[in-house]
Amino acid sequence: MSAVVVDQSKNGGTPTSDDLARAAAIKRMERREGWKRRLPVLPALIYTILVTQIPFLFTLFYSLTDWRIDKVEPRQFIGVENYASLSGDKFFRDAAWISVQMTVMAVLLSLIVGTGLAILLDRKFFGQGFIRTLLITPFLVMPVVAGLMWKLQMFNSTFGIIGWVMNGLGFDSIEFATKYPLASVVVVLVWQWSPFMMLIVLAGLQGQDQSVLEAARVDGASSWGTFRQITLPQLRPFLELGTLLGAIYLIQVYDHIEVIVGGQPGAKNLPFYIAQRSIGGGNVFGLASAYSIVVVIASIIIANIGLRVLSNLLEDNS
Amino acid sequence: MAIFTRAPKAEPILGQNRAVAMVLGVLTWIIGLLFFFPLFWLVVNGFKEESVASSSPTLNFDPTLDRFSEVTEDSGGLLSFTEAFGNSFWIVLISTVLVMVLAIPAAYALAIRPMRKWRDILFFFISTKFLPIVGIIMPIWIIARDLDLLGTRTVLVVLYTAMNLPLAVWMLRSFFAEVPKELIEASQIDGCSLLGQIRQVILPIVAPGVAATALLCVIFAWNEFFFAIQLNPTGASTIPVWVNSQQKFQGQFLAGLSAASVLATLPVVLAGWVAQKRMIRGLAMGAIK
Amino acid sequence: MAEVRYQEASRIYPGTEEPAVNQLNLDIGDGELLVLVGPSGSGKSTALRMLAGLETVNMGSIWINEVDVTLKPPQDRDIAMVFQNYALYPSMTVGDNMGFALKQQKVPKAERAERVAEAARILDLTEYLDRKPKNLSGGQRQRVAMGRAIVRQPQVFLMDEPLSNLDAKLRVQTRTELADLQARLGVTTVYVTHDQVEAMTMGHRVAVLNFGVLQQVDAPKTLYAAPANKFVAGFIGSPAMNLFDAENVDGKPGIAGVAVPINDAVAAALKGQSLDKVSVGVRPEHLTLGTAGIEGEVTVVEELGSESFVHVRTDHRGEATNIVVRDRGETQTARGDRVKIDFDGPLHVFGEDGQRVTA
Repeated sequence: MSAVVVDQSKNGGTPTSDDLARAAAIKRMERREGWKRRLPVLPALIYTILVTQIPFLFTLFYSLTDWRIDKVEPRQFIGVENYASLSGDKFFRDAAWISVQMTVMAVLLSLIVGTGLAILLDRKFFGQGFIRTLLITPFLVMPVVAGLMWKLQMFNSTFGIIGWVMNGLGFDSIEFATKYPLASVVVVLVWQWSPFMMLIVLAGLQGQDQSVLEAARVDGASSWGTFRQITLPQLRPFLELGTLLGAIYLIQVYDHIEVIVGGQPGAKNLPFYIAQRSIGGGNVFGLASAYSIVVVIASIIIANIGLRVLSNLLEDNS
Repeated sequence: MAIFTRAPKAEPILGQNRAVAMVLGVLTWIIGLLFFFPLFWLVVNGFKEESVASSSPTLNFDPTLDRFSEVTEDSGGLLSFTEAFGNSFWIVLISTVLVMVLAIPAAYALAIRPMRKWRDILFFFISTKFLPIVGIIMPIWIIARDLDLLGTRTVLVVLYTAMNLPLAVWMLRSFFAEVPKELIEASQIDGCSLLGQIRQVILPIVAPGVAATALLCVIFAWNEFFFAIQLNPTGASTIPVWVNSQQKFQGQFLAGLSAASVLATLPVVLAGWVAQKRMIRGLAMGAIK
Repeated sequence: MAEVRYQEASRIYPGTEEPAVNQLNLDIGDGELLVLVGPSGSGKSTALRMLAGLETVNMGSIWINEVDVTLKPPQDRDIAMVFQNYALYPSMTVGDNMGFALKQQKVPKAERAERVAEAARILDLTEYLDRKPKNLSGGQRQRVAMGRAIVRQPQVFLMDEPLSNLDAKLRVQTRTELADLQARLGVTTVYVTHDQVEAMTMGHRVAVLNFGVLQQVDAPKTLYAAPANKFVAGFIGSPAMNLFDAENVDGKPGIAGVAVPINDAVAAALKGQSLDKVSVGVRPEHLTLGTAGIEGEVTVVEELGSESFVHVRTDHRGEATNIVVRDRGETQTARGDRVKIDFDGPLHVFGEDGQRVTA
């Protein structure tokens, strides 16, 4: 709020009561204006805090207790004991390791595939719009359906397409999802998320400053040189945005795992494991809460990096 | 910035040799068709007899609609397609309306007449998306249980609204930011109230963006599975839970499952096709504008 | 019918130290067309927006027709504004755009239609009433924006660079029409522009601002003939006045070693001031190429047909300095010529403080 300066020039330095009343009126008006601007955002803000932030504080509290929901005894405050036990918890470590592998592989592969697709689509050819529509579709498909579909009609050894192709090539078909559970989930994730990455990169490619590209061409740069030295730097924020959004969603994948591999070990990530250990029947709410907090901290680290990127984008453009 | 509406004028990355262009065009077609193939096959399988579907893959069969009628039949006590569809419909509709009612004024305050520190507020909204659902699922489950809301549609409406709200605020802000500042000032001078301003001046301009945002909320809510299965596993549950239950109850009957999957997926795929350009522009440009 | 008064009005943007408009005092008469002019960042638009109620007045007050409107919202000030980009509502037809304010005031439909039709007739827009703004040309949109202002029959018109989005030819034509329309309607008008030609041709009086401070407000002729300070002298006039820090030539202010002819009154006023800190200005038309005076070499000759401007490079205070001289249309001078420049008309002398030294 700007300082309200009372004009003192006319009255030899002493503000009159009139001046003071006016200054107060201006201040009141500015304050009212400030609230008028703030008011519309409040309902959404309060709702979001109530439904997302308050429960998080509860989780934080649970994680410091030995609470099991299936016993009547009152929950006991046990400090950081749950966290201390994490390093010795083999199941937790496995799930965490799966989470890391799954997220990194899915994000990187979909980013690579998506960028490739975007580059192919960023040129005029017959049926461009049609192919783009086809390529977008996997992202729209319900994750449960995507999982089922791949599991049954692609991965299945008797009537799946992959087995059929392998047979045709003279190999034995295998039960892909059982033998390579992690890879199976990652394949489906990449299939669903490459289109998303493609669209973000495509937005970047088509939003390029055309005059810079033309200038490069006039200066005699080759197509590849132009891409590497001009397009790629301009694309960077979009690649970062895609990585960020992809990571945020993919770190909490649940649906695909539930449908494709179920409770099978080998593809159980942290969110899945946490749900299993708490409301899924495990009932150790205290311990599972500690797991959750670890996931949240990991996400916060990613988010922090990501937010800095987004913040730079906003600064540059406003 | 007109994304997608303008064909790129500059030289494409991979050169402009005619033969190369031809090869790349064909390559793009092949990749596009390959990407779409699993869905194509899903639709094909939905029209097969179970015996045909569960043998070696073939295109040589007599199409039938029986699977579609079977999966939509009342399944006697279990969650039926009609019930699940009805539940999904109402949950998605009400949560999306709620999201819009909350997000439109918020976007106004962040874009049209920005309040102080609007960036911090926008970041807060986005940052809630970075909070993994597992970080809050337990308290939500307990609160819902204590309020006797487990297994109701209400709990999903509440959660889907919270889930989509940050996204909607984010996208709408970028659309609202495109409304010229002078237009708002002109309407102020013309004596327009805040509501009149939103209704008569802003909404007509941003209507396509609002529609795209709403559609994206619909898609995310329609496809949501984790909350639905954790908080609502029985009576009042939604289409994704129904599809998953088809797997459990029908076992590996591929044709029936395919038909069920097609029915579950079709509404949002169609919606997504219609709104693809704007949706993505809103998502990507939300960060850039 | 209204008078407008700014009284010590200041605007300080939140988070800034320097006021965007600093204690502005300005009286605008009933029916007057006053132009606010200045370079970008001078506060001219801010001053207008304060009058519109779109910017808070942090200090001082603003009066319309002896009513203090400082704290009133825009819609209660009985004003109409024309924006640089016209700000037409894209979803409404031309007619609805023009009638929108009346609709907000709950004016009955029949009267609304009548007033819109009348304004459309004045502006030659009748056949476009049912079109959307996007189907109009730039000039037509500009007229719709004018129409929207006229329909309201406000006390004051506010215009924020209303012509700057038109191409050069149309701008000159519309300038005349607009001035004529304002005179016919007799509505008090405050008009903001960065273009000093527009300011001089349209304004009954012109107020020159720089860094938020009012420099001078006067009729265009006075502004040109007797600029109050160095800034106004340099800003008004095209091509610009030749304006130099003077040098001391035998106790008189001079340019390139030649003393300028000042009268005794000016000389007296300059007494006690350091002569190399005062400034001397002379307009190109008040210089001639002659046989005596400042020596220099011609670098550029701009031949405009009716007149020519000759750029001469001289050595002033040890630096190469450019002087512009107006010459006849069919000038004999060419690049490379050695010439002498003589004074032939009024001089402008500004003291150490940059203010005009009155003779």
